[in-house]
Amino acid sequence: MPTSTSRLLLLLPTTTYRTEAFVDAASKLGVELVCASERPSALQELAPEALVTLDFRDPVASSETVARFARRRPIDAVVAVDDLTTVVAAAISERLGLKANSLSAARAARDKHTMRRCLASTGVPVPRFRLVKLADDPAALAEGVEYPCVLKPLMLSASRGVIRANDAREFVAAFRRITAILEDAVSAPADEVRQLLVEEFIPGREVALEGLLVGGTLHVLALFDKPDPLDGPFFEETLYVTPSRLPETGQDRIAAVTRDACSALGLTEGPIHAELRINDRGPFVLEVAARSIGGLCARTLRFGTGLSLEELILCHALGRPLESLERERRSAGVMMIPIPRAGRLTAVRGIEEAAAVDAIEEVAITMHPGQAVVPLPEGWQYLGFIFARGETPAAVEEALREAHTRLHFDIE
Amino acid sequence: MSAELKTRVQELIDSMINPAVAGHGGFVELIDVQDNRVYLQMGGGCQGCGAADVTLKSGIERLIKEEIPEIAEVLDTTDHASGANPYYTPGKA
Repeated sequence: MPTSTSRLLLLLPTTTYRTEAFVDAASKLGVELVCASERPSALQELAPEALVTLDFRDPVASSETVARFARRRPIDAVVAVDDLTTVVAAAISERLGLKANSLSAARAARDKHTMRRCLASTGVPVPRFRLVKLADDPAALAEGVEYPCVLKPLMLSASRGVIRANDAREFVAAFRRITAILEDAVSAPADEVRQLLVEEFIPGREVALEGLLVGGTLHVLALFDKPDPLDGPFFEETLYVTPSRLPETGQDRIAAVTRDACSALGLTEGPIHAELRINDRGPFVLEVAARSIGGLCARTLRFGTGLSLEELILCHALGRPLESLERERRSAGVMMIPIPRAGRLTAVRGIEEAAAVDAIEEVAITMHPGQAVVPLPEGWQYLGFIFARGETPAAVEEALREAHTRLHFDIE
Repeated sequence: MSAELKTRVQELIDSMINPAVAGHGGFVELIDVQDNRVYLQMGGGCQGCGAADVTLKSGIERLIKEEIPEIAEVLDTTDHASGANPYYTPGKA
């Protein structure tokens, strides 16, 4: 049984928003961290027992590096904080004989086409889909597509490069735009970069389910409504509010379908973040990722006596008892502040005014003055995050919208 | 006692930590040592850096505690939101 001196390998891409939350959680739990990133830490040479560089694109080589490290300093658990590290985390866990998702399950959840195939073959409702190659002629492809459709890269996350097309002309334009985005995306392996998923556009409301798998059983931690319509042409995520205002029967169906999806993919351990569309035909799974919610959004979640999501994830990974998986009673929400236009951020005004809105807990601006800002579908960042907590989901949503109107971003 | 600890921490920052973080355009400034706690500020490439917490907890704190076992904790007082040139910038993958 791991003790309070457990050692945990945290896989932290240098682009992640999650570092502070996971490092804090480890500190609170008395867990010794070994932090691995794809680029070296400035202090790696001075602290080689705690800081490691791994090529996240090469799970085999990374596993070998960690296995050598673990001979000197045994690792009790491995945690991936973002999409970029879920596969390598599974590979390392497998190599070290740790309880975790299998490598095949992590791979299936990481690749949107493999996921769609896997889910469709087991009867989990997903949009109709097909795989196309970037080398194909988009005009010829456009003739054989049902509209409206959605084009999306296989490996990018958070709606980057996802575009709706309503006709052949829009299809060709979207195809070319995504091709250019993928040429810039260095994080994905070459084969995946050269392909796209084209799928049916599913009308309806979108929700996100945050869950924790323990021994193959899915525990629903939170169900978030996304009150802003996500109808395209780009799919910028803005508001997440929990608990969901959907009828209980609808929520039960969402949970059931997500359970089926995890089971079909073979996911058994750790956090999952699922995105679904709901309409009168029922829930459709858009994605099940073997990681927790992205950005700083986990700040909306508290469990039991105030445990953070990151503390829950680390406790689970280390096999420690889970105090409570029940979210607090109050409603909570976050706005991921969208980038209105491309340019250079010169100033942010109104932060105090936004923070003064009733129910607003925090306004966190994560981009810095002077930074280039790029909106979707090319962009990969948010301007920041607004957090609210209140008595009802409606009050939380209203507070987030009001706070957002008080913020002003000067972009040149 | 605090004055002596402060001197030892400062020497460590000058001799080991700052030369290393300078490679990422960063620097660390000792603000104070009180009740065996070290208070630091990070600047340059460290201010607002997405990996600042790792640098602090897995790097700086670890080194200081190894060299000066009397130190219980290292705390960051940096205003990271004002960082104008962070070495690593968070964003979607």
